[in-house]
Amino acid sequence: MGKYIVKRLAYMLIVLILLSFLMFMIYQLMPNNRAYTDAKAWLQANKNNIKGDIDEAFDKKYKEYQIVYGTDTDNKLVRYGRWMGFMPLSNGQYNGILQGNFGYSYELKGNVVDVVAEPMKNTIFINIFATIAALAITIPLGILCAVKRGGKLDSAVNVITIIGYSLPTFLVAILFVWIFCSNLEWLPPSGMSTPGNEFTGFRAFLDKMYYLILPLMAMTFCSLGGMTRYVRASMIESLSMDCIKTARAKGLREKVVIFSHAWRNALIPVVTLVVGWFLGIFSGSIVFESTFGLNGMGNLMIQAVRTADFDLVMFVALFYVILSLAGNLIIDIVYGLVDPRVRVNK
Amino acid sequence: MSKNNKNPSKGFLATLKRWGKRMFFGGSNALADELELSQEEAAERARQADIEEVVSPTRQIVRNFLHRKGAVVACCVVIAMFLFVFIAPMFMPYYSDSYTEPTQKSVAPGFRMMNVPDELKKDVKMIDSYGTFSVGLSNAGKVYVWGETRLGTTGIDIADIPDEVKKANIKYVSAGIDHIIAISDEGKVYGWGNSYLGQFGAVEGENVAITPMPEELLNGTINVDNIKELECGYQATVILMNDGSYYIWGNNNAYQNLTNFANISYDSKFEDISFALNNIVGVRKGGDKTLFTGMKGLYNKARTDMDDAVADDLKKFLGDRKIMKATAANTMICLTLSDGSVCFVGDVSPTYNYKNLDMPSGVKAVDVQSGTYHFTVLGSDGNVYSCGKEELGQCKVADGATGATRIFSGAFQNYAIDENNDIMAKWGLSGYLFGTDTTGAPIFERVVNAGKMTMTVGAVAVIISTIIGIIIGCLSGYFGGKVDILLMRIAEIVSAIPFLPFAMLLSAVMGRMDLPELTRIMIIMCILGVLSWPGLARIVRGQVLVAREQEYVTAAKAMGVKESTIAFKHILPNVISVILVTLTLDFAGCMLTESSLSYLGFGVQYPRPTWGNMLTGANNELIISNFWWQWLFPAIFLAVTTVCINIIGDTLRDVMDPKSTSER
Repeated sequence: MGKYIVKRLAYMLIVLILLSFLMFMIYQLMPNNRAYTDAKAWLQANKNNIKGDIDEAFDKKYKEYQIVYGTDTDNKLVRYGRWMGFMPLSNGQYNGILQGNFGYSYELKGNVVDVVAEPMKNTIFINIFATIAALAITIPLGILCAVKRGGKLDSAVNVITIIGYSLPTFLVAILFVWIFCSNLEWLPPSGMSTPGNEFTGFRAFLDKMYYLILPLMAMTFCSLGGMTRYVRASMIESLSMDCIKTARAKGLREKVVIFSHAWRNALIPVVTLVVGWFLGIFSGSIVFESTFGLNGMGNLMIQAVRTADFDLVMFVALFYVILSLAGNLIIDIVYGLVDPRVRVNK
Repeated sequence: MSKNNKNPSKGFLATLKRWGKRMFFGGSNALADELELSQEEAAERARQADIEEVVSPTRQIVRNFLHRKGAVVACCVVIAMFLFVFIAPMFMPYYSDSYTEPTQKSVAPGFRMMNVPDELKKDVKMIDSYGTFSVGLSNAGKVYVWGETRLGTTGIDIADIPDEVKKANIKYVSAGIDHIIAISDEGKVYGWGNSYLGQFGAVEGENVAITPMPEELLNGTINVDNIKELECGYQATVILMNDGSYYIWGNNNAYQNLTNFANISYDSKFEDISFALNNIVGVRKGGDKTLFTGMKGLYNKARTDMDDAVADDLKKFLGDRKIMKATAANTMICLTLSDGSVCFVGDVSPTYNYKNLDMPSGVKAVDVQSGTYHFTVLGSDGNVYSCGKEELGQCKVADGATGATRIFSGAFQNYAIDENNDIMAKWGLSGYLFGTDTTGAPIFERVVNAGKMTMTVGAVAVIISTIIGIIIGCLSGYFGGKVDILLMRIAEIVSAIPFLPFAMLLSAVMGRMDLPELTRIMIIMCILGVLSWPGLARIVRGQVLVAREQEYVTAAKAMGVKESTIAFKHILPNVISVILVTLTLDFAGCMLTESSLSYLGFGVQYPRPTWGNMLTGANNELIISNFWWQWLFPAIFLAVTTVCINIIGDTLRDVMDPKSTSER
């Protein structure tokens, strides 16, 4: 098992490097010369203090900045190496992502790492919460539908879930705002806390939750459709296995048959899928963060793209890539754990 | 089958008839059976011997599909939607993506704009409109308001006529974009509607953007018998007296020369004053050779009709004639001259195809009225002529208008009045089926054209992904070994790319590269296609791998059937059902992703509509609650289409899987 995990990890690293290279190449397409921008800014600030030729001073500073940013070469591979921190800059230092240098956000005036701390916390919080809430609803519902297959409830859930997963997420968000904010006026439509409040401790948390109820409800609702169908399908599959017939023949109570025998078998595909889903909805939450005005990674990315804050865009995009790769890795490992055949095959 | 082949036209018609029935009555077992029964040969054979009918897999699938009521309905809906969005735009000759109309912003759905109250119909004194509502005055002195009377998000309903106006005997009335001014027989001036920008009433404090209403109108009265004309512009009003003096007030930002009129230092008397788009124009007392605007070089070229390419210098054009009256539409002004003829001054868009006046020579203009973009002229022969822009039907003079004694036009509506003060005909814009958006464009037209765009993007993306998926899946499955491992690893990498962030990154790059719009859309389609093939490739690979080892393939090989024949005649038909299912589901998926991307503002961009970007404005509670029609209609179209496509895909999967059908 250890060998298998190491193999998957190594594979994931290779993919990550490939994808980051691809992203870096896209990033290079942008007409963005940070050394030039910074040198110009420096020139503006120190216009009166420069002695001698201004152009010469500018050129000197420009070269300095180019060395600092590692752009004093046209070789894209070298630039990539420096950006990642594999290769040294011209002054011999390593200063790339591996060394923790993710760049500087010009719009938010701060190092990217500092800027993303709060949004990342929020995004992870709402996603974990939404996943747990969705699981708490979908697992019982899926089991019930599978056990009472073909019944009225099953047909109704079938129709509702197909509508649920066909609706675009932003539409659900808009509908929820319309129902709960415009018509019922129960919840605030956007934001993360009451403007101008000075709450602390538990009171602040309650206030935040009050604002988060609506987005969380919408997010949970959107993951219901697909998950319920999946739980139902895998439960139906396991209910038709021979061991269930045997269990029933032994005279076990139906409850025991369903929860102890069938559900355990159904759990294998469900667990693996849920983990993948959990990481998959991270990129889905971009839409919710945008609609509900939440201070999360998705909204940060949208703003960064709009304001051409390239370092921030790259970091957030990389964040999503890593999440998705980590999701795949965990699925592989969990699959390997629960189903030994997978390990043998690969 | 053979009989049908002999008489293909009859067979085709019969099929068409059955499908027509199915369309209206939905799928049912009886109909599905009928479909089979009509194939007489098969039925006869079944009657003769009690042998189980042998049906080809495709026929079995079709038959099973037709037994699912929901799926048949969904299929009909999708086909109808497809035909609708591709055929309906052909009947919209005036549609343009970038069409906007500032006076028709956020109009609710409905056709109320020409619903003249019954009481007024028989006793019309005057009718006026500027924006989405109209105001009418009866000879009895009563004011009526109809049309879209709710003013945006202000919460004001202009149809709430103040009590003092209801009690008073009104002599003059006129409507602006969001206010109404009325003058009673006692000379009191009333106003209601939106007063935020100085449309009427006292202005608190100093405000340079507002020319305040004159003091004598606020508190005192004016001599009603001396009033020549009351006219409202966008957010401004003028009262012109018979002696040529006038009162003018309103929002300075609406008319750039409002202050010129308000502060004329020399003695100037006017025959007529009218509101154009950004300027106020006046005709000085006793006829004039030029239009007074308070600025130089405006409106000095004249033409006799809309399509005259070359305009003459106004003074030369007039000769010894004089301007008696100016009637302003948006950028054009119609001048009535002293000899009863008319001419036009102002800007004419060279690309736009205006409707011409076509008034026979010798006919004099008795009255000229203007809407937002058109003029209506009452000729001395009793006919009504019209010219200008006609995209909202404002120039289609109704047949019953001949013999009118008076005409009233405003905004996009026209009314012809006979000698008994009855409305004899009305024509123009009565309303919008789905309302208008925040720029004033009709949502119905945009939804239809958006559907065209969304479906095209979805279809092209899915075709790209299917082609890549099939090729890679087949190669992988057929060759196996190292090729298989390599291709599947690539598929894994591609499927690890998170779509939305990646597309946004690409969009950010494209945004800086200044690409033409069509190229952008092409790239979006390609990104969608290129990022969504791995699922299909894996399925196809699996199917090919299984099919390759099947006995029938071995049997075919043993019989000496050619490799290519085995691949295409034996393996492919077994794979194609799976491809079809994935294609259907992916189509809905691509439409959804494109919509999400456009909704966030990184896909297809305004003004070109898609169902996604029509909802962009709706991530704002103000719009969601006040202008429900702006998001509900695109949302319904998008939701219905994707739900139906998913139902079809799901049913296809169930139907094609022999295991699941046997279970039923």
